[in-house]
Amino acid sequence: MASGGGMTWLMIILIICNAFASAAGLALFALAIWVAVDGYRLYPISGVSGKDDIFAGAWIAIFTGFAYFCTTIFGIYAALKKRRSLMLAYLIIMFIIFIFECASCITAATNRDYLVGNSNLVKKQMLRYYAENSDKGAQITNTWNRVMQDVQCCGADSALDWIEYNSTFRQTYGTTYPWPLNCCKRLSSFEVADPEGCKIGQSSTMFTTGCFNYIESVFSRYTWAVSWYGFSVQMFVFFLLLIAMVYYTQLG
Amino acid sequence: MEAYIVLCFISMLSVGIQAQSTVNCTPVVTPDLAARITTNSVILNPPSCCFGSLTGLNCTSDKCEVWLVAAVDTGVNNFNTDKTSTDFLSKSPYPSAFSNSNPKNYFLTKAGLQNDFPCPSSSTASYFRVGADGNCITTSCNGVLPQGSTASFKYLLVDPASKTLLAETKWSDNITLYTSKDPGSISDSFAGRSGAMVVITAILSVAMALLLLLLIIAVALCCCGGEGKEQRPASQRLGSVMGSFRIPRYDTHHLKDPAPYDNPAYERERKYTTADTLPKSSATTAVNPASQDDIKMQKM
Repeated sequence: MASGGGMTWLMIILIICNAFASAAGLALFALAIWVAVDGYRLYPISGVSGKDDIFAGAWIAIFTGFAYFCTTIFGIYAALKKRRSLMLAYLIIMFIIFIFECASCITAATNRDYLVGNSNLVKKQMLRYYAENSDKGAQITNTWNRVMQDVQCCGADSALDWIEYNSTFRQTYGTTYPWPLNCCKRLSSFEVADPEGCKIGQSSTMFTTGCFNYIESVFSRYTWAVSWYGFSVQMFVFFLLLIAMVYYTQLG
Repeated sequence: MEAYIVLCFISMLSVGIQAQSTVNCTPVVTPDLAARITTNSVILNPPSCCFGSLTGLNCTSDKCEVWLVAAVDTGVNNFNTDKTSTDFLSKSPYPSAFSNSNPKNYFLTKAGLQNDFPCPSSSTASYFRVGADGNCITTSCNGVLPQGSTASFKYLLVDPASKTLLAETKWSDNITLYTSKDPGSISDSFAGRSGAMVVITAILSVAMALLLLLLIIAVALCCCGGEGKEQRPASQRLGSVMGSFRIPRYDTHHLKDPAPYDNPAYERERKYTTADTLPKSSATTAVNPASQDDIKMQKM
C-alpha cells in the first residue's frame, strides 16, 4: 500500500482538480445556455436547412455541463471517503458524461462546416425562400430583412447575387427592383432614403457588401463556444480521470 | 469646268446641311453603379460632351432631341440600313422589335433634349438607364432588352421638326446582359472540412478510447486480480499496487489433522488473524517459540 503521505497528496490533488472541474462544468452549462438562447436570432437559417446540430450540441452541453458539476462534487466526497465502490461509481459516471460531451463537441464542429463552410448553402436558401409565401419563407424573409438592415449588407456574397440568379423574389415582384428594398438605406422614419438611387445601385443609397461574413462569424462564434470550450473541458477532465484512476487503484 | 466645280460645291453644301456626321463618342456603361448591367437593362453614361461641337444645325440645343438606339445582334446592321430612310424613327417600334417572326432586333427611344445633357455632366443626369419603362407597349418607349442578349448602343441627334438624323455617336462595345441562373444549380453539398473539426474529432476520439481502455484495465486489475494475489508468498510483495497482503497460511508438515494455527509470537497482533487461526484451548502441535531459528523462519 502506498505510503500515507503519498495517498494524502493524491487525494488533495484529486479534490482540487474536481473542484476546478465543477467550476468548468458550470461554465460550460452557462455557455451552452447562451448558445441555445441564440441572441443573434439566426436560428431560422440553420433550422430551415435542417442542419441545426450546432444547437443540438449546445443542448447536450447544457446537460453534460451540469452533470459534470454534480458528479465532480460527488467525486470530492468519494475521494474523502476513500471507498473503492464510490470511486468506481464516480469513474463510470464521469466516463459516460465524457462520451456525451465528446458527441456534442464533434457534432457542433461538423455542422458548422456544413452550414457556413462556404456561402453556397446560405445563398441558395436566401434565393429560394426569401419572399416565399410559406412558413419557412416567412422565417427566412424576416431573418434576412433584419440582418440586411442591422448589419447593412445585401445578398450573400454581394448585391449582385440578386441579379445573377433567378429567385422567388424576382418571380413574385418582377424586375422593377433588382433587389429587395431592405438593401436600401433608410431614414429614421424607416422610409427608403432614395428609391431611384437604390434601384440603379448607387453605393451611397444602398448596401453593397454581402451578409455571409456576418452570418458565418455568428455561427462560428456559437460553434467555438460549444466545441472548443467543450474540448478544453474534456482535456482537463481526461487528466482528472487519469489521476482518479490511479487513486482508485491505490485504494483498498 | 469651273461651272461643274461650282455646281458640285453647291450640291455638296446642300447635302452637307443634312449630312449625318459621326461624332467621336462611344457610349459606355457607367462604371460605379451596382445595377449597371442586369438581366434586361443597362445603365449608360449620358452623351454629355458628344454633340456640343456641331454647327449648322437646324434646331437649337433646347429643341434638338437625343435618341438612343438599342440593337441586339443583327439589329446593328438592320439599323445601319434603316437609318437612311426618312421615317427611320418608327421603322421598328418597341413592341415588335424582338418578338416578330422576322424581328428587326433594334428599337429607338427618346433620351431627352440636347440641353438635358450638359457638358460636363450634372449630377442629376449622370446616367441613362435603358429598359427603365419595363415591358411597355408604345412605339418608342424605353423597354427592356431580351434576357441574356448581347446589345450595342448608339446615341442619335435628331431634329424633331423634320425628323432627320443630324448626328450619331459610334456603336458601343458589345455588352452582354446576365442570364438569370437557376438557384438550384448552386451546389451546396460538400463545403470542405475545417481544420478545427479534424483536430477536435481526432483528439477527442483518441482520448475517449484511451479512457475506456484504462478504465477497463483499472477495474480488471483491482476487482478481478486482487483475490488471486493472496496466494502468492509474502516474499513477492508487489509493492503498494495490490491491496493488502495478509500473512500467508501454509502447511509445512504433513499432518493428520491439519488444523490451521497461528504463530503464538503474533498472537497479540489480531489485525492479521481470523477466528479459525487463533490457537484453540487444547494444545496443538505448536512450535516451541523459544527456538530462535524457528521464530525467524516463521517470521519470513
